[in-house]
Amino acid sequence: MTGKELLFRTLRHEAVPRAPWVPFAGVHAGALIGADAEQLLTDGDTLVRALLEVNRLYKPDGQPVVFDLQLEAEILGCELVWARDCPPSVASHPLADAPEVPDAGALPTPERGRLPMVLSAMRRMKEAVGETTALYGLLCGPFTLASHLRGNDIFMDMFDDEDYVRELLAFCTACAKRMADLFLGAGMDVIAVVDPLVSQISEQHFEAFLSAPFTELFRYLREDKGAFSSLFVCGNATRSIEVMCRTAPDSISVDENVDILAAKEICDRYNVAIGGNIPLTSIMLHGTQQDNIKYVVDLLARLPEYRNFIVAPGCDMPYAVPVENAIGAAQAALETEAMAEMVKNYVQAEDDTDVELPDYAHLERPLLEVFTLDSATCAACTYMMGAANGAKARYGGSIDVVEYKFTRKENIARCKKMGVQNLPAIYLNGELKFSSIIPSSEELDAAIDGAL
Amino acid sequence: MGILNEISEQLQIGKAKLVKELVQQAVDAGIPAGEILTEGLLAGMSMVGERFKNNEIFVPEVLVAARAMNMGAALLKPLLADAGVKASGRVCIGTVKGDLHDIGKNLVKMMMEGRGLEVVDLGTDVPPERYIAAARDQGCRIICCSALLTTTMGVMADVVKCAEAAGIRDSVKILIGGAPVTDAFCAAIGADRYTPDAATAADAAVSLCRGEGAA
Repeated sequence: MTGKELLFRTLRHEAVPRAPWVPFAGVHAGALIGADAEQLLTDGDTLVRALLEVNRLYKPDGQPVVFDLQLEAEILGCELVWARDCPPSVASHPLADAPEVPDAGALPTPERGRLPMVLSAMRRMKEAVGETTALYGLLCGPFTLASHLRGNDIFMDMFDDEDYVRELLAFCTACAKRMADLFLGAGMDVIAVVDPLVSQISEQHFEAFLSAPFTELFRYLREDKGAFSSLFVCGNATRSIEVMCRTAPDSISVDENVDILAAKEICDRYNVAIGGNIPLTSIMLHGTQQDNIKYVVDLLARLPEYRNFIVAPGCDMPYAVPVENAIGAAQAALETEAMAEMVKNYVQAEDDTDVELPDYAHLERPLLEVFTLDSATCAACTYMMGAANGAKARYGGSIDVVEYKFTRKENIARCKKMGVQNLPAIYLNGELKFSSIIPSSEELDAAIDGAL
Repeated sequence: MGILNEISEQLQIGKAKLVKELVQQAVDAGIPAGEILTEGLLAGMSMVGERFKNNEIFVPEVLVAARAMNMGAALLKPLLADAGVKASGRVCIGTVKGDLHDIGKNLVKMMMEGRGLEVVDLGTDVPPERYIAAARDQGCRIICCSALLTTTMGVMADVVKCAEAAGIRDSVKILIGGAPVTDAFCAAIGADRYTPDAATAADAAVSLCRGEGAA
C-alpha cells in the first residue's frame, strides 16, 4: 500500500496498519536546498526542487505543496512584506477603512498573483510524486482571509455589524471554493482550509459566524468535487474542536496547544480524523533528534488506535528546523516499533561501555563510519549510506566502510561513546564529516582524498 | 457604589455608549474621577483580564471591552489631570522588527491600560533601538516585546543587548511574550519576565512598576 493510499484510508476513516505522516514543510522546504522563503514562494523551479527534497528525505505519505496564507490576500489587494525565513506578512488591509464586500469579479483566477507559479508547481509535483504521495492544496480559511482584508476591525464587527461579517465571510468562502477548484484542477488530493484565527474566538462566535461557511465549504469539497478536506487551526482551539467537527471536514489538524488525546476523543465521536501535534519550537526547532523521535513514539503509544490519526507538526514547520530533527520525526512515524525499541535502548545504553572504538590514529586505510537510524527504512539514511557505498565502489580496497544502525543497542552505545548527536552522519577516521545533509560524491571524495 | 458596579458590568460586555453615559452620570453625581476610574472602569477591565486568562472570553470580547473602557476614560481624563491622579507607571510596547503581528501586542496594551498603566505604543516592526529610545526619552519603566514568529523572537535578545549597551539595563525591565516564546527562552536571552498571556503580562507589569522584582 502506498503512503497516499494509507492517508486516503485514514481520511475515509478506515482501519490502518500505521498512522500516516504528513510533514508540513512550507518554508522549511527551502532550507533543504539553501533557498530563502521569498525565493521558494515566488520561483516555481525552486519550489518544486525543494518539495522534491522534502519528499526524498522525509518520505511523507501526504505533503503540502505551498504553505502561504497570503496567496489570496495578495491577489485581493493586500500588500505583502517578505522575509527571508518565514512566509510573507500582510502589511495593509484594503477594507480597513470601509466595511465593504468585494464583488465576485475580484475572486482569484488562474493567471492572477502567484497562482500561475503555484498551479504549475502543483502539476509538476503531481507528475513527479503524485502516484505515491497525497498532495495537499492549502488555502486561506475564510475567517483569516476576512481579517487580512479588513484588519483587526473584523473582531469589532462581530459585535457592531454582524450582517457585514457574514457577507464578508460569504465572499471569503467563495474565494476558498475558487482556490479549491484551481488546486483540484492542478491535481491536489486534499484541500486544507487553514484558518489559524479560529483559535482567537469563542465557540459561540464560531457557531454564529463560521459554522455555516465551513459546513458549506466541506460539503462542497466532498459532494461536488469528490475531494478530501482538512481544517487546520493554530493556537489553543480546544474549546472549538467540537464545533469544528460539526462542520464535517474529513480531518482537522491542531498544534501543541491542544490536548490531542482529548481532542481525538471528540473527533472520534464525529468520525473526523485528527492530525498533529509535534511542537514546532520546543521540539522541532530547538529539540534534539532524540527529542523528536521520542515525542512521536510517545504520542503514537498514547493513542487508543491508529485509525483516524495523522502524525504531523503542529503547523507550518519553522524554516530552520534541523533536518535531522525532521528525519527523526519521520522515522518515528514510519518505523514506530523499531524507534520505540531504540528509545528504550537509548536509555538503557547509558551504562553500556563495553563497545570498543577503533584505534583511529593507526588505521591501515581511511575508515568511513556511517551512523544511521536504519538505512533499510529511513530515506535520508539510505541516501547517506548510498553515498558511502558509492565511495567504496570508487575507492575499492583503499578505504573501509561500515554502517552502524541505531536500531541495535550496541550501536547506540557506540554513538554515545563517540558523541554522535544526529543521524544520519558520516565519520571519517573518527571525525564527524557529514551530519544529516547527504554529501555529493565530489564532497565525499574530497574528504577521503584528504585522508589518504 | 451601585453605579460603579454598573459601569464595571457594562464594560465587561462591551457596551461602550452605555459605559460613557454611566461615567457621565457618576461624574454628575459628584463621585471623584479617581474612584470612577479604579472602581468602575479598571475594576471591570480587571475582570475582563481574568476571564481572558481563564479562556472564558477571547479576542473580540476583550477588544469591545477595551473600547468601552477607553470611551469612559476619555471623559475622565481632564478630571483626573485636574485632580493630580497619575498612572501607576509608564511602559512602552511593540512587536519586534520583522514581525507585523499586532493582535497580541494590542491585547497586552489594553490589559495594561486596564490596570492603570500608561502605555507608549511603538507599533509593529520595531527595531531594538526604538525600544531603547522610548524607554530613555519617555521614562518607561518597562520595555514590552512581542513576537509571533520563531524567526523574529531572536530580536528580543538584541533588545536586551541594546539596553545593556545604552547603559539603561539596570533601570528598565524587559518583558517578553508571543506564541513561540517560553520561560527558557526568556532566561536564555537575559530578559526579566516572560508571560504566557496578556492579562498575566499586565499583572507582571504592575508588579514590576511597584518594584516587586522579576518574579
